Amino acid sequence: MTHPKTLIALALALGGLLAQPALAQTSAGKATAPAGLYQALGEKPGITRLMDDFVNRLVVDPRIGGHFKDTKPAALKESLTDQICQLSGGPCKYEGADMKSAHADMDITKGHFNALVEVLQSAMDAQGIPFAQQNRLLALLAPMHRDVITIR
Amino acid sequence: MKNPRWLAVSATLALAATVAHADTGKLLLTGGVSTIAGSAGGGLTPWAVIGSNATEGEVGFSGYATRAATQDYGLNGYGVAVGLHDRVELSLARQDFDASPAIALNGIAPFGVTPGQHIQMDIVGIKVKVAGDAVLNADSWMPQIAVGLEHKRVRPGSIGSVLDFLGTQTSGTDVYVSATKLLLAQSLLVNGTLRSTNANQNGLLGFGAAAPGKNRRSLQPEFSVAYLISKNLAVGAEVRFKPNNLQALGAAAGLGAALREDDWKDIFIAWAPSKNLSLTLAYVDLGRIVPGITNHRRQTGYYLSAQVAF
Repeated sequence: MTHPKTLIALALALGGLLAQPALAQTSAGKATAPAGLYQALGEKPGITRLMDDFVNRLVVDPRIGGHFKDTKPAALKESLTDQICQLSGGPCKYEGADMKSAHADMDITKGHFNALVEVLQSAMDAQGIPFAQQNRLLALLAPMHRDVITIR
Repeated sequence: MKNPRWLAVSATLALAATVAHADTGKLLLTGGVSTIAGSAGGGLTPWAVIGSNATEGEVGFSGYATRAATQDYGLNGYGVAVGLHDRVELSLARQDFDASPAIALNGIAPFGVTPGQHIQMDIVGIKVKVAGDAVLNADSWMPQIAVGLEHKRVRPGSIGSVLDFLGTQTSGTDVYVSATKLLLAQSLLVNGTLRSTNANQNGLLGFGAAAPGKNRRSLQPEFSVAYLISKNLAVGAEVRFKPNNLQALGAAAGLGAALREDDWKDIFIAWAPSKNLSLTLAYVDLGRIVPGITNHRRQTGYYLSAQVAF
């Protein structure tokens, strides 16, 4: 019965290999963004285009558009551009509110959060950002669900 | 429709589905597909994800039909599942196993097996998420963890005389724990499941065995890996280790390795053309299945499954 043990060992080894980049990402936190992501997003001009289209899609989305009815689209675009630019390793500084206080007054479910992820995916598709790069950005954003979702 | 209990449970689940949330919000493919036992996961092994499109605060529903065929055998399956608040999954599945070509070639007339006899099995499943979030906690190593139970009842018809001879029971309950993690930055999903079971060939050949076969439960690991090519397309592989309860009994009866059971493996591609439909195609290697009546061939073939989810 060496066969199963070999496979289990292989699976564990594979897990170990995969662990390295993800752990590096965790411990590095905001200090170092994943290499090349800022470039993959088209740097500041690309991120500006992406957030422009993203916010345009958000405010008309039937599931979550209502959440943005009191938000000025232009200000949201600028704030998000800074945030994504900084997160992805660009030379920007996000100076807006932290995620928890920014969403504290809103009723946001996990379904709403997932809807926002889908709208962002559509916007990234429209900009021609490769799927693997999209997921690298989403990996930085997804943990924000802890602060963004207000209805558990 | 000989089994009124199955009908009653189906009706209950269908009713639950009609009151399901109209607009469910799970991300594409993150509810997995339907396994052969009806629970959500890969094709052969359950994952810690809760089936249907329902996320927190929502109720969702899924239904599937599956066809698998190898050199000597065929398996049809269908079932339904309800996902409650991305926390609890209830599932119901029926399998129909066709061994008639192999039976026809091996006159097991002394056992009174009717030509063309199929083996049917019903499976009731429950799975509860106990910790974690497989998808969104991308900055942590903590997987989503769920515990589950699959209660199986096999209806072997005239093959029952063979199962009686082997000393197997006609019902059994598998208990499992699954850990699933989407490594989002790598677009890779990994799952590990540990199952306590005494089922023979998933239960289609009953549960346990008369001595010197193995009657007691054993712990069997199962692994899945899937790479996300795009939002709606994933490729992957699975390995499911299985007990080999009957071989020793067969050997004692002078049949050598005629009743040997092997591990299962597959490679798959899953495609979700819309939020409500997914199709899974796999190449399966099910090892030897009662090799004594199939020239000791390995059973390899295709697996095709369609799932609707709301």
